[in-house]
Amino acid sequence: MLLIEKLVKSYPGQHGQDAMLALRDISFKVEEGSFFTLLGPSGCGKTTTLQCIAGLEHPDTGLIQMGGKTMFSSRENLIVPANRRELGMVFQSYAVWPHMTVFENVAFPLVYGIKRAPTQEMRTRVLKALEMVELGQFADRPAPLLSGGQQQRVALARALVHAPRLLLLDEPLSNLDAKLRDTMRTEIRNLVKSLGITTIFVTHDQVEAVSMSDQILLMRAGKIVQQGSPRDIYLSPNSVFTADFMGRSNLITGVLDRSGETARAHTALGPISGVAGPALKPGASVVVVVRPQGIRIASTSESSGLNCFKARVQNMNFLGDVVEMQVDIQGSKLTLMLNPYTAISVGQELTLEFPPERCVIVPSEVPSSCGPLK
Amino acid sequence: MNGPTVTSNGRPGTGLDQQKLVQSLLLVVVSVLVLGPVLVLIRTSLAPSEAMPFETLDFTLKHYAQLLQSPRTISLMWNTVVYALSSMTIGVAIATAIAWCTERTDMPGRTIVRILMFAWMMVPALVIGFGWILLLNPGNGALNVLFRELFGYLQPILTIYSFWSLIIITSFAVVPTGFVMISGLLRNMDPNLELAARVHGGSSWATLTRVTLPVLTPGLFSIGIYMFMAVVQAFDLPLIIGLSADVPVLSTRVYLLSSPDNGLPNYGLAASFGVLLLVLAAGLMWAYMRAIRLGERFRVVTGKAYRPKRITLGLWRFAAIGFTFSYCAAMMLPLLILLWVSLLPHYSTPSLSAFGGLSFDTYRRLLTNPMISRAIGNTIILVISSATIVMLISCLIGWFTVRSNSRAGKILDALSFLPMAIPPIVLVLAILLLYLNTPLYGTIWILVLGHMTIYISFGVRTMSSALIQLHKELGDAALISGASWLTSLQKVTFPLVWPQILNGWLWVFAHSARDLTVPLMLMTTSNIVAASTLWNLWQFPDLPGAAALAMLLMTALLAVVVPSQLYVSSRLER
Ligand SMILES: Nc1ncnc2c1ncn2[C@@H]1O[C@H](COP(=O)(O)OP(=O)(O)O)[C@@H](O)[C@H]1O
Ligand SMILES: [Mg+2]
Repeated sequence: MLLIEKLVKSYPGQHGQDAMLALRDISFKVEEGSFFTLLGPSGCGKTTTLQCIAGLEHPDTGLIQMGGKTMFSSRENLIVPANRRELGMVFQSYAVWPHMTVFENVAFPLVYGIKRAPTQEMRTRVLKALEMVELGQFADRPAPLLSGGQQQRVALARALVHAPRLLLLDEPLSNLDAKLRDTMRTEIRNLVKSLGITTIFVTHDQVEAVSMSDQILLMRAGKIVQQGSPRDIYLSPNSVFTADFMGRSNLITGVLDRSGETARAHTALGPISGVAGPALKPGASVVVVVRPQGIRIASTSESSGLNCFKARVQNMNFLGDVVEMQVDIQGSKLTLMLNPYTAISVGQELTLEFPPERCVIVPSEVPSSCGPLK
Repeated sequence: MNGPTVTSNGRPGTGLDQQKLVQSLLLVVVSVLVLGPVLVLIRTSLAPSEAMPFETLDFTLKHYAQLLQSPRTISLMWNTVVYALSSMTIGVAIATAIAWCTERTDMPGRTIVRILMFAWMMVPALVIGFGWILLLNPGNGALNVLFRELFGYLQPILTIYSFWSLIIITSFAVVPTGFVMISGLLRNMDPNLELAARVHGGSSWATLTRVTLPVLTPGLFSIGIYMFMAVVQAFDLPLIIGLSADVPVLSTRVYLLSSPDNGLPNYGLAASFGVLLLVLAAGLMWAYMRAIRLGERFRVVTGKAYRPKRITLGLWRFAAIGFTFSYCAAMMLPLLILLWVSLLPHYSTPSLSAFGGLSFDTYRRLLTNPMISRAIGNTIILVISSATIVMLISCLIGWFTVRSNSRAGKILDALSFLPMAIPPIVLVLAILLLYLNTPLYGTIWILVLGHMTIYISFGVRTMSSALIQLHKELGDAALISGASWLTSLQKVTFPLVWPQILNGWLWVFAHSARDLTVPLMLMTTSNIVAASTLWNLWQFPDLPGAAALAMLLMTALLAVVVPSQLYVSSRLER
């Protein structure tokens, strides 16, 4: 549905500063009907990518195709302007027009857009869109008299009313309070899934990304770090950055001893077996990533098994739905998440098992940063 | 750089056409408006006086030599600087005192003072000048006559025709503008600074001199430079008072050289004086920009809305009221005498015996005069077209300066700012030289052209500061919805800043109506407007007629501008 190839985008330097490379070689593909998320820390280029897709910014080089039609190509010197790309977009600020009523806001694409509808049809489609976001009874209300959550629904209805090819959402949930955010998360996903519309969603919140997406593209400093399903990205990170960004993890540095599916790394704890990517060669300095939920408490008899280590409990933190436990293994500190019924006390000696399929061996960080273009 | 080549923003493509087209059009219009006159001015100052600038290829520095060798040039410069500096200092001092009283103290009558100040900004300086002449001329000025009768003085005690009178009247005339700027400054100042000084035991006076004034200094300084610049460029008061007082300044010199009472105009010399004035004004502009930038660095503005605690004046309030009232009286007097004169068939000083003869005959006479009707019609065309065209162009240029970071956007920004540094009298001289032999000359449209050029920098500034506060995504949302660029502007962007557009429109409207420089320099029998007719009646002399026309002009202006502005500001505050 959407094909992005080798996008590069720089912003001219302001106030005498150097030009700024916001996107460096971004390529990806989005399947028809998929809920696709651009995830990454603030400033990594998510909005810029989305704006390039929307046609509000133009890349320096690269190719953007939608449904087989070229929207931007630096090679062919072709730009389809934003208003001819037939998209729907919800902006971070919602951009609901305050001088219009709810109805006029939602009707705008059908009245002034390229896919105009005759008055009668326009009315029914607008009202249907408003019903869809449960704002049917608010049609005649002036837009400034709506709450934040309602404004967002208006923006959503406006983005969907003209049946766009692609729905773009730029951090739509970040201005809502926590509770509303949770309900809108499911509502948005259910809505776009029921319409079957391809959606590109931008967020910096990994919980949102994991709970809503079919595919996640993790970005950092204008580059793609990893692409995959939420499960892939969470359970098989390809870098320290991904592991760290997607949630808490124990990072144990070491040197790779054996590569491949049954890899082994030498660490301060001793040898750890795990899964390593094919690119890693023995001798490389690596980090073993183990999620706090991935560590098992083994019976004392297993103390000599594969990936089994003796540990002393240093701290227990009862958080309600989980218990956070800090342990010490030969001077290294690790964190575990346990179920709250576990009965363990501080100072106790335990044997911990790191199941090898839960130990992901990734290269230790190559320094790369977003910065001025030289 | 080993990355990709950074191409310019404006890559050719389908559909950027609308923007491109409008942008090129604006570039052409603004260049013709602004660059054309400046180039012609410089060319004329370098051309021999025997020929029109376009008809010769010769270059000569003769005019500059004449200008530099003449001892009068020094005295002209001296007059101009003394005039501007004194008027500015007195004006800013009065404005600061009144603004402080209305913004910071519990002086009674603050709202009335504020409303009066806004209203006076609309009153043409020309009208105030005429009023003062009627009050203070040495022969039969009303105040002089009054004093003579009361105290038996034979000599007039005050005369309008002196350098000091010119300075004082000019400074009174700039106070309202200064007041509006300074009260804005005071309103943005953090009251906690003052409060802190009070808490630590400072008296009111010490707080004022040690804290309030120093904190305000950068802001006051840039306002001072702005006022100085305004007075250097001023033309009407130096014309009606300064020339009789034998105090020529640069602006009146340019006028006399290009429209002498007898003899041929010396455009070459006029143009070289114009260039001199241009350089002076541009230097001031530069200083002003520097001062603003420095001021930003010292800024102590909270930006939050707050209710400052007002200082209790106690017995001092009588001094404050006395001072403010004196100023207000000094502003009312010239208007009252004009009203008086306009109600009499022949000029006579105010007295009880003349009361019986008051009538509206003069007004009736004016309104049935075909010349006057034509002038009024022309004025309406002039002010409405100038205000509308200026704001239309300004909205579009404002959009480009804020939203587009292309080179063309920057050029538009710079070009539209340039007229700020060109004194109107110089600009009109240049327009005269440029269009003298075209059919445009002698029509009302050449006046529109002049006002467009003069007021476009104000319009663009107004619109770019309005648009910069508007979230970019509002316009983007319209584009994404499929609307064309112009539709997005028309349906979303501009409707959202309409109060600022209307405010700018009113400002240009009022300034276009009160301006004398352009109509006078470009006057023919067919393009007279209210301001130039006023001047003609005064010169004729038909004092009751002039006074009645002045009252009509003023009433019309106030009736349009004040209610609309009150409406706009109530909408803006919501
Ligand atoms: N209009 C702009 N001009 C200059 N730099 C910009 C502009 N927009 C974004 N940037 C820079 O580009 C980088 C990426 O920005 P953005 O795409 O907005 O990040 P994100 O949405 O991921 O937080 C940032 O470093 C930002 O400072
Ligand atoms: Mg962003």
